[in-house]
Amino acid sequence: MAAADSPSAALRRDLCSRGIRLAGKMRADVVDLLDAYVEQQGLDASASVAAVEGVPLAAVERWDEQTGTQRLLQNLAAYRAFRALLAQMLEEQREQLGEADAGLGRALAALLLQVSAFAYHLEELLRLESRGIPGEEEGDEEEEDGPPPPPRLSLFEQKLRGLGVLRELAQWAVRSVRDLRQLAKPSPATGAA
Amino acid sequence: MFSRWNWVACGFYLMLNICSPDASSGLVQSCGHIIPESPVLALGSNFTALCILNESCLDFGNIYASQIIWKIKNKVVPKEQYREINRTVSSVTFNDTSSLATPLTCNILADGQIEQNIYGITVTVGLAPEKPRNLSCIVHQRSRFTYVMTCTWNPGRHTFLDTQFRLRYSWPEEIFPDCVPKDVNNSCTVTDIQFFVNTEIWVEASNALGKAESDHLVVDPIDIVKPLSPQNVSVSSEVVPTVLKLFWENWISDAVMTLKFNIRYRIVGDANWMEVPSEDTASPRTSFIVQGLRPYTEYVFSIRCMKEDGEGYWSDWSEEKTGITPEDQPSKGPPIWRIIDTSHSPASWTVHLIWKALKPFEANGVILQYEVTVRDKSSLSSPVKKYNVTSTNYTLQLQEGTYEVTLIARNSVGASPPSVLLIPASNSKAPVKNLRTLPKHDKLWVGWTAPNSYVLKYVVEWCLVSSSSDCVIEWQIAPGDVQGIDLEGIKPFKCYLITVYPLYADGQGSGQSVKAYLKQDRPSKGPTVQTKKVGKAEAVLTWNHLTVEEQNGFIRNYTILYKTIDGNETVVTVDPSKTEYTLSSLTSDTLYTVRMMASTDNGSRTGPDFTFTTQKFGKGEIEAIVVPVCLAFLLMVLLGVLFCFNKRDLIKKHIWPIVPDPSKSNIAQWSPQVPAKHNFNSKDQMYPEGSFTDVSVVEIEADDKKSFSEQDLKPFDLLKKEKSTSEGHSSGIGGSSCMSSPRQSVSDSDEGETTQNTSSTVQYSTVVLNGYRDQTPLHVFSRSESTQPLLDSEERSEDHSGGADSTPQRQQYFRQNGGQDETSTDRPCFERAKQITHANEGDLVGFVQLQISGQSSQPLGLGMEKNTQEPALSSVLQTCTEGQTVRPETVEENPLSVDEMPKSYLPQTVRQGGYMPQ
Repeated sequence: MAAADSPSAALRRDLCSRGIRLAGKMRADVVDLLDAYVEQQGLDASASVAAVEGVPLAAVERWDEQTGTQRLLQNLAAYRAFRALLAQMLEEQREQLGEADAGLGRALAALLLQVSAFAYHLEELLRLESRGIPGEEEGDEEEEDGPPPPPRLSLFEQKLRGLGVLRELAQWAVRSVRDLRQLAKPSPATGAA
Repeated sequence: MFSRWNWVACGFYLMLNICSPDASSGLVQSCGHIIPESPVLALGSNFTALCILNESCLDFGNIYASQIIWKIKNKVVPKEQYREINRTVSSVTFNDTSSLATPLTCNILADGQIEQNIYGITVTVGLAPEKPRNLSCIVHQRSRFTYVMTCTWNPGRHTFLDTQFRLRYSWPEEIFPDCVPKDVNNSCTVTDIQFFVNTEIWVEASNALGKAESDHLVVDPIDIVKPLSPQNVSVSSEVVPTVLKLFWENWISDAVMTLKFNIRYRIVGDANWMEVPSEDTASPRTSFIVQGLRPYTEYVFSIRCMKEDGEGYWSDWSEEKTGITPEDQPSKGPPIWRIIDTSHSPASWTVHLIWKALKPFEANGVILQYEVTVRDKSSLSSPVKKYNVTSTNYTLQLQEGTYEVTLIARNSVGASPPSVLLIPASNSKAPVKNLRTLPKHDKLWVGWTAPNSYVLKYVVEWCLVSSSSDCVIEWQIAPGDVQGIDLEGIKPFKCYLITVYPLYADGQGSGQSVKAYLKQDRPSKGPTVQTKKVGKAEAVLTWNHLTVEEQNGFIRNYTILYKTIDGNETVVTVDPSKTEYTLSSLTSDTLYTVRMMASTDNGSRTGPDFTFTTQKFGKGEIEAIVVPVCLAFLLMVLLGVLFCFNKRDLIKKHIWPIVPDPSKSNIAQWSPQVPAKHNFNSKDQMYPEGSFTDVSVVEIEADDKKSFSEQDLKPFDLLKKEKSTSEGHSSGIGGSSCMSSPRQSVSDSDEGETTQNTSSTVQYSTVVLNGYRDQTPLHVFSRSESTQPLLDSEERSEDHSGGADSTPQRQQYFRQNGGQDETSTDRPCFERAKQITHANEGDLVGFVQLQISGQSSQPLGLGMEKNTQEPALSSVLQTCTEGQTVRPETVEENPLSVDEMPKSYLPQTVRQGGYMPQ
């Protein structure tokens, strides 16, 4: 109880609450953006897209058995990946359409901001968990050290990948809400983790 | 010589320097420069500038720092502010930069006192920016997905410099582009706002003198949202007549934020809004049922929303939507009252039932009809009468008695509770007491003290009192537990008659009335005063009351103001009930001006002036003077009469000398035929009509002229004079004496010779009065042939006094004897005189128309005149003689008369009134 009343607990609760609402809004915006994106790119809404490379899948086994830190780390990894992918999509979008469809570009930019904001929420929660935050540079270095960057995709492939990113982001938004709600619960499991 | 050329060269060099705009970098080098170059200075600070001369110019032009002059905009800076630092540097110091202006120039006074400019700088003075204060931000929802954040702040004082403001915001790990305001310096709008992340917001202000930063505001933009108001609001009615259901749509999705609402509503036409309790609408929703509404009432609704947790701002109110609640049955019966008209007969009433239409919130719908039920309470057997009425009044003919009237209003849903009015046979119950009024702003409060008995309710009647129209009664019902109500719709300056009736369960109290004004003013006109009666020292003034429309308030008094032309004004206050007043102690025969003033509580108004003059004499004064004067006059007359009566003998002697009575003369006594007594005045007896029967003409010798005394001739002279003045015209007397016709006159003139023959003798005649128709004649006149003169005294007196009386008699006499000349004698004498005049026109100078009256025989004088002076006129004169003037012609033409006359030449006995020649 004492912990619940401490400033850190209040901050955690606030971060969770805000993160939940941000994830919810992100989900709603992604859904709206998906419709606009499919229509704009001339894609079929029912088209099946392969899993986006570099993005952890939202669906996970034994989700309820995960610790809070695990949830936060997985979320942070996913949203950092989304941030990079959305930035790439935004760049491609500008290259393709220029200023012809500013609305879609603004929506992508807004979504990118939300993803960034959510990532910031996750980092703050991890700090409250007294856990180190994995550096992005490390990941980048790993990526640089790892396999070379994928070959440049065709335009259609870019569109399909964008569709896959948005769908996965929508999935992750739902999962993130659930994760943060789980974190917001003052459960002893969280403390043990 | 060298020095002069040196100075000329120096001046030329300086000119080149000055005229060259780009001297420092161009071909021509400047002779100096100022440090600092174009500074920006803080207002109020001190400032020092240095002017540094180039060494090259020193050698060439012999110029030194001591020759430097500083100028501000062509105004020389006082030398006290200069300082010569060395041979080539001069400084100037300003303690307050506010005295600075642009440009600040460094000049040098060369030989010949020629001032040359070395260098100039632009000085900018201003203030450093203040710290922006009161930063606040609000996120406006522009559309379903669009939000913009507008931040405002207080930029602080004016800096006089170009100051840039920047709104900066960032996330902990992301810095967003700055928002630079356009055209303003106190607000900026950010378009890419992301919710659910704490955003740090601040403002930076910077200019050449510094930079300032506002306090940092950390806020999640979702907490400062002003959402768009709900859209597509609609209202629908439910089955229940007191509820309406509202529907609307929200612009913002629950994923972004959940909302709470405010719902306000009002009745159409009413400006006051009511609100649904906020706790009832504190949760997200898109509909709400508003309860507690009035049936059949049109309401206006409006909704607004904000973030559910109360963070942020309320949206604007939505557009207004109206809805009408369903009808319900009337909630109460209409207030009912009656006016009873008993003018036809006290036992037969004309009862006007009047009631007020229910107010909308009482009617709860459209009133379709009213049901009036009348029950005669004094007769249980009489049936209950029902009437269906659509108007708000009904007139009944009832016999005097006690009735119970019930009124019900119906609409489409049902009937109202009944309103009951008891109409008693008489208003015998106790009335209210202490009825009074009090104006309250635009309402008139009517108060009373309740009677001791329990009162069901009160009826307050009022009407506008008017002199030109009937009192139109308005009324209002007050509950029995109040002792005063406010009357609305009362006009100021109008008189109202207010009556209060208490209604009891078993009867009605008599009405108590009071007159009242909501607001009083001074009268609109003053009374017109005039006098009813004006006396010597008093005047009765009258006036008419002002009409109630003119009064504008209660007339508290009248004031009479009167004065003479030059006197002081006297003021008299008169009771307002009076219309007459008597001014007393006035000055007689004086012009007064009077006017009258009517006063209310709020002022007075004076009527027109009226002037009157008091009388000179008082009542009875003239009579008191005239009556004694008359009495005195009468007394004097009476005394005079008495005096005359007492002195009548003396007076008589003077006025009427004693005329000897011939009858008492010795001759009378001598004549045996004369009666002892006879009456001279009784002419009828003396000369009864037709008593003269014969006239005898006696010719008298004209030669016997000497037998007439001089006195006897005088009268004829006078007559002659008179006739000469009225020549050709015969007087009335003369006319009456002209008994002869013109023909006779002509014949007279023709026979003038005969006349001349006869006129030589004095003619005496004896008139014998024979009895007419065998009556005994009273008088007998006979012409005497005596030449003895007549008694002087008798003739004179007879000529003057008795002539007039005897004239008519003589005329009669001539008519009788001239019967055949009737036609001619009818003609006026003057005509005949004219004819005569015609004939003897040249001889008229001596014409004399003699009028000889009396019983004397004037032919004596006439004949004498004719004979002695104008014999030619004798005939004319004869025709114009009168009375016993005898014309010879007539005598000649009436031989019968002559024959009948006793031709005696002796004096005849005169029986009565006659005389005998002496």
